[in-house]
Amino acid sequence: MKNNIAVKVDDLTVAYNYKPVLWDIDLEIPEGVLMAIVGPNGAGKSTLIKSILGILNPIAGSVSIYGKSYEKQRALVAYVPQKGSVDWDFPTTALDVVMMGTYGSLGWIKRPGQKEKKIALEALEKVGMLPFKNRQISQLSGGQQQRIFLARALVQDASIYFMDEPFQGVDATTEIAIINILKELRKANKTVIVVHHDLQTVPEYFDWVTFLNVKKIATGPVKDIFNDDNLTKTYGINYKVSIQE
Amino acid sequence: MSNAQIEIQLIASLVAIACAIPGTFLVLRKMAMISDAISHSILPGIVIGFFITQDLNSPLLILLAALTGIITVILVEYIQKTGLVKEDTAIGLVFPALFSIGVILIAKNANDVHLDVDAVLLGELAFAPFDRLLIAGVDVGPKSLWIIGCILLITIGLLFAFFKELKISTFDVGLSASLGFSPTIIHYGLMTVSSVTTVGAFDAVGAILVVALMIAPAATAYLLTTNLKRMLVYAICFGVFSAMSGYWLAHWLDASIAGSITTMLGLLFLVIYLFAPNKGVIAVLYREKQQRTEVSLLTFLLHLRNHSEEEERHVNHLNEHINWQKVRSKTVLELALKNNMIVIDNDVVSLTEKGNDFTSQAIDYIITNEDSKIEHMKDDFFLFRG
Ligand SMILES: Nc1ncnc2c1ncn2[C@@H]1O[C@H](COP(=O)(O)OP(=O)(O)OP(=O)(O)O)[C@@H](O)[C@H]1O
Ligand SMILES: [Mg+2]
Repeated sequence: MKNNIAVKVDDLTVAYNYKPVLWDIDLEIPEGVLMAIVGPNGAGKSTLIKSILGILNPIAGSVSIYGKSYEKQRALVAYVPQKGSVDWDFPTTALDVVMMGTYGSLGWIKRPGQKEKKIALEALEKVGMLPFKNRQISQLSGGQQQRIFLARALVQDASIYFMDEPFQGVDATTEIAIINILKELRKANKTVIVVHHDLQTVPEYFDWVTFLNVKKIATGPVKDIFNDDNLTKTYGINYKVSIQE
Repeated sequence: MSNAQIEIQLIASLVAIACAIPGTFLVLRKMAMISDAISHSILPGIVIGFFITQDLNSPLLILLAALTGIITVILVEYIQKTGLVKEDTAIGLVFPALFSIGVILIAKNANDVHLDVDAVLLGELAFAPFDRLLIAGVDVGPKSLWIIGCILLITIGLLFAFFKELKISTFDVGLSASLGFSPTIIHYGLMTVSSVTTVGAFDAVGAILVVALMIAPAATAYLLTTNLKRMLVYAICFGVFSAMSGYWLAHWLDASIAGSITTMLGLLFLVIYLFAPNKGVIAVLYREKQQRTEVSLLTFLLHLRNHSEEEERHVNHLNEHINWQKVRSKTVLELALKNNMIVIDNDVVSLTEKGNDFTSQAIDYIITNEDSKIEHMKDDFFLFRG
């Protein structure tokens, strides 16, 4: 099962205003893994995801999704941005935001209809947000907003999911609800890539991990490479986590 | 009403609609300042266009001037990308430069150009009906009416075709890009529409009124709704209303029409800013006061629940026990009574079953922050509305 490469990144270098924040990244993500990207603030985790998704243009290197360019494989990919990246005061409702996930399959000009609404309602149900479907999005709590983002990714019905800190500011219940949905996705042989900050839960939640800090430090199965050595290399300080075997 | 009066109001209303549509998206994208920049920096485009065409209403002039608007946007973004200055500074650098080029061009050619800076900035609606469009010798109405009408039709067509794209790229640039709706294309599309509208309208209403008609109605509508479609409709209505009432205000005061319309826009914003049901200043103050009272109510109910001894529950001693001023205890007591949460028997207050349930649920909510159980309480109490 782990033979297909879902995402391949070659010699990727990305810069803001000519100052590189990602140096020469090589990365292969096998199909069907639930992978954490870990690294300190400013390590370039969000930048890496944005470059893979064609939101940023790298100054060097290339990205492929199942062997083809991202532009050709858009439909296979879903994206949950970091929560702070949108304007929550925007005049729109929870349901409307989730429906945005269907826009990709609609293409330009065509408008969402009943079918798209139904898909969106199902996704809201799945993340337990159906009662809030008509709520203006700024009137949702942080965890609820995160669930809305997740529902929006689910309606994209993709093969590969990129999520930038989906656990940011959510309580334990929501965190478990989200991780269960992610595990379900993995069971369906989807590839899920998550930027994650809580190192304690990495071994419990994920089976694959990438350490990133401007350069790629290591990537591979959690059980092989999630150790103090790589953590120290990534975070610079002496890191000790107790990993339950 | 004379024909000219009807025509003026019609032109002003169409300009208002044509401005409100891109204006709504500019406000949501926090780009209000860029419309100001565009409105000034089109001056050199207009002057150069006028040299070439000798006709202020020529489509070529409109395109040339709109191009200057786009150049403004590109320059602002270029300067901003260097990372040396912020966006507002970049805007402040670009548009005076372009505007002054226009001023110099006019001054240098003042003799043979029938154009002045005031006319561009302020326009003159009252004169709009005099410039007629003749097709095969037949008078079909004022030229500005036709120009703004065409621009409006195109704008509405684009809005209907690309509403979803405008919405997603305004709300979430990242998702928009990842789904293949290039935010850059949509951004420049919006900028082009804004520039063309500004140029098409400046002759009739002046560049300053264009800015006001783009920003003020949208900003006012934003205070009233949480639905993008409705925000567009409200913005259009406010724009048209200000245009009409502004016209009559000018008529009555014998003042500048553009000035009166802008005044009406300002007044309308002020009224809504004060009285809007949710986001208005008064509503917010009222809500804060209510919330304070409701917190007191809850404190009071908790006190009742925790004390079974009658002496602690005597109406006249409540003040001392919870340490409140008379007025506050009275409001709270009345609120509790009104909601059947307490009964007063022989001046002794006791909790009703409803009051007891309410207290438990409220405390539960405050501890767990789990708000699905208290949905029904949200309608009556501000405390639970986040
Ligand atoms: N739009 C931008 N312009 C200039 N520099 C940027 C921009 N966005 C990010 N950076 C810089 O790029 C670096 C990497 O940022 P990135 O957002 O990818 O970090 P991250 O690993 O996601 O951090 P966090 O954990 O805080 O989300 C940081 O040093 C940041 O300051
Ligand atoms: Mg980040």
